[in-house]
Amino acid sequence: MTRPAIISVVAGVLMCLAAPTSAHHSGAMFEPEKIITLKGVVKEFEYTNPHSWLWVTVTNDDQTMTDWGFEAEGPSTLFRAGIKKSDLKPGDIVTVTGRPMRDGRPAAAWISATKKDGRVLQARTAPVTQRSGN
Amino acid sequence: MRNRICVGAALIIWVLLPVCASAQEYRNATEHFDALKREAKGGTKITWDKLPDWTGIWTRTPGIGLKFDPAQPSLQQTTAQLTPEFARKHKEKLERVAKGIEWDPISNCIPPGYPRWLTEPFLREFALRPEQTLLINEMVNDIRRIYTDGRGHTPEDEAYPLWNGDSVGFWDGDSLVIHTTQLMGGQYQRSQPDYTDQVETVERWRKVDDNTITAEVTIYDPPALVKPWHVVQRYSRVTTPGIRIRSWVCEENANNEVFQTKEGATQHVLPGPGAGPIIRSKPEK
Repeated sequence: MTRPAIISVVAGVLMCLAAPTSAHHSGAMFEPEKIITLKGVVKEFEYTNPHSWLWVTVTNDDQTMTDWGFEAEGPSTLFRAGIKKSDLKPGDIVTVTGRPMRDGRPAAAWISATKKDGRVLQARTAPVTQRSGN
Repeated sequence: MRNRICVGAALIIWVLLPVCASAQEYRNATEHFDALKREAKGGTKITWDKLPDWTGIWTRTPGIGLKFDPAQPSLQQTTAQLTPEFARKHKEKLERVAKGIEWDPISNCIPPGYPRWLTEPFLREFALRPEQTLLINEMVNDIRRIYTDGRGHTPEDEAYPLWNGDSVGFWDGDSLVIHTTQLMGGQYQRSQPDYTDQVETVERWRKVDDNTITAEVTIYDPPALVKPWHVVQRYSRVTTPGIRIRSWVCEENANNEVFQTKEGATQHVLPGPGAGPIIRSKPEK
C-alpha cells in the first residue's frame, strides 16, 4: 500500500473524542492515541449492525487510490447522533477523522466526518474513557 | 422547633431505610430473595391495570461506559471485593488490555450473558405483563424473561447453565424484585472482573421518575467475591424522535467479522467495501 494522503496525524489525544468502542468486539485493534484525518470521496456507507462502515476512496500522494474503511456503531447509535444513511452518499466529498488500525491496514475507528458544506457528523461523542464497548 | 427536628429525623430514617435494608447481609441470593418476598407479604397481586408504566425506549445512562458499577472511580478500579484468585485474574486482564491484547468472548456474537447484560449499551425496552416481564436489550435481540406468576425456578434435574439464567420475581408495589440463578460464567464487562457459573443475583427494578429506571443489584458469587457486590444500575429514557428498536443480526456485514490472533488480541478480517453478509457455512469446492 502506498502512503495515503494523510492530512494530519495527531498523537497524545486520549481524552479527546476518539472512542475505542465496539458493539461486539474489543477496539484494541485500533491505535489508542493516534488520530488521522483523511479527505476523500464516499464509496459506500454500510449502515449495519453491529457496526456501520463508511468507505472513503482516498487519493494517495502518488495519485493511486485506496479505499479506507471507518468503523462506527450500528444504526441506532448513529441515528441518535443524527447520522442517517442519506447523509453520506456515494460521490460525497468528506474529511474523516479516526483512530487508525495498529497493523497499518487502511481502516480506522470513525470519530467524525465533515461534509463539503461544513456539516460535522460526529459518530462518537463520549470521551475515550467513558465509552461503552459494546 | 421540636416538631421540625422530629420531622427531619423521620425523613433521614425514611431515606436511609432502603440503604440499610440493602446493606443487610444474607448467606446467599435465595435467602435474600425469600426475605424480601416475606417482607412484601408474598408480593403485590398485580393486574393489568396496576402494572407500572415503563413504556418507551431506554438506554443505560450515558457516561458510565464499560464500568460495571457506575460508582466505581475508573474502568480499572472495581468496587467488587474479589477473592485473591479473581483479583489476580483481573489484574492480569488489565495488564493484557494495556498492551492492546484483548479478546471479548462476544466478538463472534454470542450473547453477553447476565449480569453483564445489565451494562450493555444501545436501546432497551421493558414489556410488562402480570405473569411475566420481558427485559429486552437491542444488542443481539437479547431478552431476559422474568416470571412473576408465582412459579419457582426450573427444577434441578431440568436445569442447565444459561446465558441469562433462570429468573423468577414478584412485584413489591411498583418495584419488580428478581432472583436469577442457573447462569454461565463470564465477565462483568470488558476490563471488568470475571464471574463464575455459581453467580446468582437479587435485583429490585423501579421507575424512579419519568425518565429514569433503576436496578439495585446484589450479586452473590462465593468463588469470585469475598462478599456480595451491591451496585445500582440506571437506565434513561431515549427521547430521539423516530427512534425504534430493530432486529440486530451480527451477520449483516462481513466487515464486522473478527478473529483472535495467536497472542490473544482481536483483529479484523476486513474484506472491504461491499462485502455483504457473513456466510459461515461455505459450500465445498
